[in-house]
Amino acid sequence: MTFANMNFKMSGLWLLLLPLLLVLPARPARAQSDIIGEWSPRVYNDGVDVGDYTGIPLNEAGRQRAESWHPDQIDLPENECRPHPIDIGLRVSVSQLRITPELDPETRQQIGYRLHVAWQEPEQVIYTDGRPHPSPNAPHRWSGFSTGHWEGNTFVYFTDHLKEAYLTRTGVPRSSKATVTTRMHRYGNYLNITFIINDPAYLTQPYIREYSWVYTPDQVIAPFPCEIIPDGTILPAGSVPNFLPGKNDILFNFATEYGIPPEAALGGAETISPEYIRKLKTMKVAPRTTTEHFKRAG
Amino acid sequence: MKIEISFRGALARAGRISMFAAALSQVFAAGLGAQDFGAQGRASNQAPPTNVQNQGPKTPHAAAPKDLTGYWVAEVTELWRYRMIVPDKNDYQYVPLNPEGRKVAAVWDPAKDEASGNACKSFGAPAIMQVPGRIHIYWQDENTLRMDIDSGTQTRLFHFGGSAPQTEGPTWQGFSVASWEGAENIDTRDGQGGPIQDDAGRLIPGRPLRQADFLKVVTTHLRPGYLQKNGIPYSGNAILEEDFDTFPDPYSNTTWLTVASVVTDPQYLIEPAFMHAHFKKVADNSGWDPTTCHANEPR
Repeated sequence: MTFANMNFKMSGLWLLLLPLLLVLPARPARAQSDIIGEWSPRVYNDGVDVGDYTGIPLNEAGRQRAESWHPDQIDLPENECRPHPIDIGLRVSVSQLRITPELDPETRQQIGYRLHVAWQEPEQVIYTDGRPHPSPNAPHRWSGFSTGHWEGNTFVYFTDHLKEAYLTRTGVPRSSKATVTTRMHRYGNYLNITFIINDPAYLTQPYIREYSWVYTPDQVIAPFPCEIIPDGTILPAGSVPNFLPGKNDILFNFATEYGIPPEAALGGAETISPEYIRKLKTMKVAPRTTTEHFKRAG
Repeated sequence: MKIEISFRGALARAGRISMFAAALSQVFAAGLGAQDFGAQGRASNQAPPTNVQNQGPKTPHAAAPKDLTGYWVAEVTELWRYRMIVPDKNDYQYVPLNPEGRKVAAVWDPAKDEASGNACKSFGAPAIMQVPGRIHIYWQDENTLRMDIDSGTQTRLFHFGGSAPQTEGPTWQGFSVASWEGAENIDTRDGQGGPIQDDAGRLIPGRPLRQADFLKVVTTHLRPGYLQKNGIPYSGNAILEEDFDTFPDPYSNTTWLTVASVVTDPQYLIEPAFMHAHFKKVADNSGWDPTTCHANEPR
């Protein structure tokens, strides 16, 4: 074999490979905006008071569950390190968010997105590779099972297989039958996330809420180590603080403090409509105990 | 058999071929992606391709990627106690007020506002989407989207193109510049890394990566008003940026209109304030309930 022959054969090889080289980088990019990165919350966290169910289309069962909730339940060993499901984690933990691409470990192809929230470190993987949702009998998880797709500039994903959790920090329940449709929309350096929660057990209609984040590429999300304190350390061992039906003596503190008719503070679909303002004016309000809200901690 | 292989020469040739392939691949990335390779490789004396930037535009009405028109009713699922009732003075827990803003909030006097003809201070553009009520959106003309609001009987005009006239004074609803946003083309490069142009220097954009699909509105020229009913101030220099989107509810026959608002006002705010409002589409003007502005009423 001469050099000239060898060279000719190499050139021939390149000619064969050239179309492949040309085509590979020419794959069209995906039609999606960039949600990957670090996001700082601009979440204004209402619903932090016991008895504040305002704006939530709760049904009677949901209201009963909420009224039985006792603030000391947070100190139960099983609750101390319990992660928020992502739908509430993004909503109430006022916490940093990181979105990364989820890669197949074998092929290294992107198969979805992974969300990570700082507080209690809940994670949610949203698959975009077309895989089906698991059987209804499959185990439920804190952040459920999610599949998503792009609708123009908006990333839309559907979550089911959620464990029972809360809609607020103060005990308004969300059942394991609930599903959540989430819409992520980036505009400029802002990320809006809209949740539509459908819970046939505790809501009378889909519940919509929305929050914003700001792109913050230099933020640092610290680890969130959590250690469970042994049972009996904070609360008596084996006890579960609760309010029996009709015995919640702090239920209407919120309504009284803010001058809201007690019935209105308990939520429900009717209370969400502008027409309800007319009804509010006819309802009784308990005597105020304070109007000095600005002295409260944020 | 004598084998003479010059690795340096072979590598050099291979490198040149690789560079050539890489350069060509950039062109192919644009060309194959756009299915318009022929147009981009066109001879210099031919007519410019059809996708250059000076293509004749449609009117904003004709180009609307989404239909925001119709009647909508607010669904007050967030910050209920700030919207459905008048909150107490100094309750600004969710507004990043600075010290100057706090001073102004502390002297809120609704009776004084009523008496001085300022009852509409909490019905200005930065606040009006938060006020519970109904809105009616329609095209006033091909370039102007109009929103009538029953609460406070207010009207917002979203002007596509143009800018605020300098001769007019500030108003409650200010001057709103609108645009359909979200469109983006694939960034294509020639073999040297530069933009792909025709002979006249006009950019030949890559094929569309995304179409516009939401409405952005920027409002300025505002008369100073309140972000909340209880006198939380914004100044005349405030800038309101809004993102309007509409989509079907996944669980019902409802269509949603969502409005995400960002108010930037260094005079009274430490950082931009974010607000969100949600509206459900309704069939007609049933329930339309125009009110006059009241300083001490939720709507």
